[in-house]
Amino acid sequence: MKARRDIKTILILVISIVFVGLIPLFIKGEYVLNMLFLLCLYTILSHSWNIMGGYCGQINLGQAAFFGIGALTTRYIWVAGYPFPVALIAGSFSSLILACLIGIPTLRLRAHYFAIGTLGVAMIALITIQNALPGVDFLPASLMSDYNPTIRFYTALIVAALTIFAVYCINNSRLGLAMKCIRDDEEAASATGINVVRYKIITLMLSTFFAGLAGGLFAYYYVSYYYYVPFELMWSFDPVLIVFIGGAGTVVGPLIGALCYVILKEIFAISMGQVNVLIFGVVFILIVLFLPKGLIGIKKR
Amino acid sequence: MVTAYIQILIYGLINGALYGLVGLGLALVFGVMSYLNVAHGALIMIASYACFWLFHLLKVDPFLSSLLIVPCFFLLGVIIYKILFDSLKRFPEGQKTKNSLLISFGLLLILSNLVTILWTADERAVTPHYAGFVIQFFGLRIPYIGIGAVLFAVVVSILLDLFLSKTYFGKGIRAASQDHEAAAMMGINVGTTYLISFGIGVALAGIPGIIVSLSSFNPSLSFELTNKALVVIILAGVGSVYGVLLGGFALGLAEAIGVLFIGATYREVIGLVLFVLFLLLRPQGLMGKRS
Repeated sequence: MKARRDIKTILILVISIVFVGLIPLFIKGEYVLNMLFLLCLYTILSHSWNIMGGYCGQINLGQAAFFGIGALTTRYIWVAGYPFPVALIAGSFSSLILACLIGIPTLRLRAHYFAIGTLGVAMIALITIQNALPGVDFLPASLMSDYNPTIRFYTALIVAALTIFAVYCINNSRLGLAMKCIRDDEEAASATGINVVRYKIITLMLSTFFAGLAGGLFAYYYVSYYYYVPFELMWSFDPVLIVFIGGAGTVVGPLIGALCYVILKEIFAISMGQVNVLIFGVVFILIVLFLPKGLIGIKKR
Repeated sequence: MVTAYIQILIYGLINGALYGLVGLGLALVFGVMSYLNVAHGALIMIASYACFWLFHLLKVDPFLSSLLIVPCFFLLGVIIYKILFDSLKRFPEGQKTKNSLLISFGLLLILSNLVTILWTADERAVTPHYAGFVIQFFGLRIPYIGIGAVLFAVVVSILLDLFLSKTYFGKGIRAASQDHEAAAMMGINVGTTYLISFGIGVALAGIPGIIVSLSSFNPSLSFELTNKALVVIILAGVGSVYGVLLGGFALGLAEAIGVLFIGATYREVIGLVLFVLFLLLRPQGLMGKRS
């Protein structure tokens, strides 16, 4: 029974990734490409949050700091002349290092203190960057000449596919089991011999690694932006909304959440500005209150 | 030169009074029922808008409008509690905090976006005729509004402390915060106590809202205010009313001293760094005892 369900999940994932990959072949235009890229970006970012928040139950509101440092480092190394894959990996390791520096001390905190402690870290990063790097980050002309959004989209798609695969593997591993155990009852987990602090650190490092990847892709896709943009707090808040609406602690849930989010954002961004966040807030509260398993939980009922 | 330093410290104290008031409502709700209401900043901002419209449409003095805003916010708090938070009280403590954090986080997003949509993101301020008045004092300048803020903070703290320690109902709130099961067995209606405490917590958001409205404000302030409230309750712990007020003053002074030595651009960072340090090294707060 479990094996059959697994095959079904894999099939759904593969079909949806291939489907997204095929869309640009049939519908041309930068608008569609842009939306599909955002879909990949939000999938990676929300899965990175899902690893920590959905599987391990630790609410991390500092994801923007890790996303931002990934973007900053990737852009810097890429512009310095190294090939992009090197820069991307370096960027995600930079957010991993940041996680070791500030994340591990904050993990000693109890659950809700962890949430507000990481929020504090994200705000420190945002304000510091706003003051230290007030300008706009432009791509130099040499890199602009071979700018091609299609290639960039497919890079993002590959990274997204790898991320989903990684989360799928975590879901079915001992590590995933330990993470779910910690989420459900930290004391019981520790009593059954799970080294809670060690697993939390591993989880945080995995989570921030993927957040750094997402940041790197942001720096790869967008030609110019203010340095502080990838540090904005919405990069912390959006994944929380997406993951809970789709279904926390599942492989498919964040995909559904990201799809809803990108579509809603597109519909309302044109007509009414910020209404999408308002609607998402309302849906988010309703889901936390009445559907703790997210949209994906409807089916299982 | 010395006067300039003292002047900055005075502004720090005035800001500190505001921070203390901002933290008070959050601390009450968190202390009594372990709900971490991060929407507190948004509620304060809405009070600022209420004050703004009362002043502009009906010419009500901002300090007088507290008589109207505070009872309305109490009702608002009761309604919010009934709709959103009542169902959480059956959870164990950690779960309660986490779920209330998530729900109030959604509420924070809703309220701050709603205000932006309704009244745009423009900077606004309430400008009564005494807005620019200052008291000159040995070369120091103390604004009237600052004196009002400090007075307000002290009076509200004293009233709240008297309510909690002297009245029967206040004692009930303290009993429920120490052990809600034991309190229920002693004949205290914990459900009503929670409802009223949440109402008071939201009513307490009305007062800092008035002070905020006297300098310029906009919808993005709600995040900043929530953040200040969190810093204050981490600095002070949630044990006592005066502790929270002192935590507010401590934050205001720390920011002022930071501005002296590092510069105004990093003012926000100073509070946050303090906050993270306290979280790591002294999670029970300045006044709390290690449990």
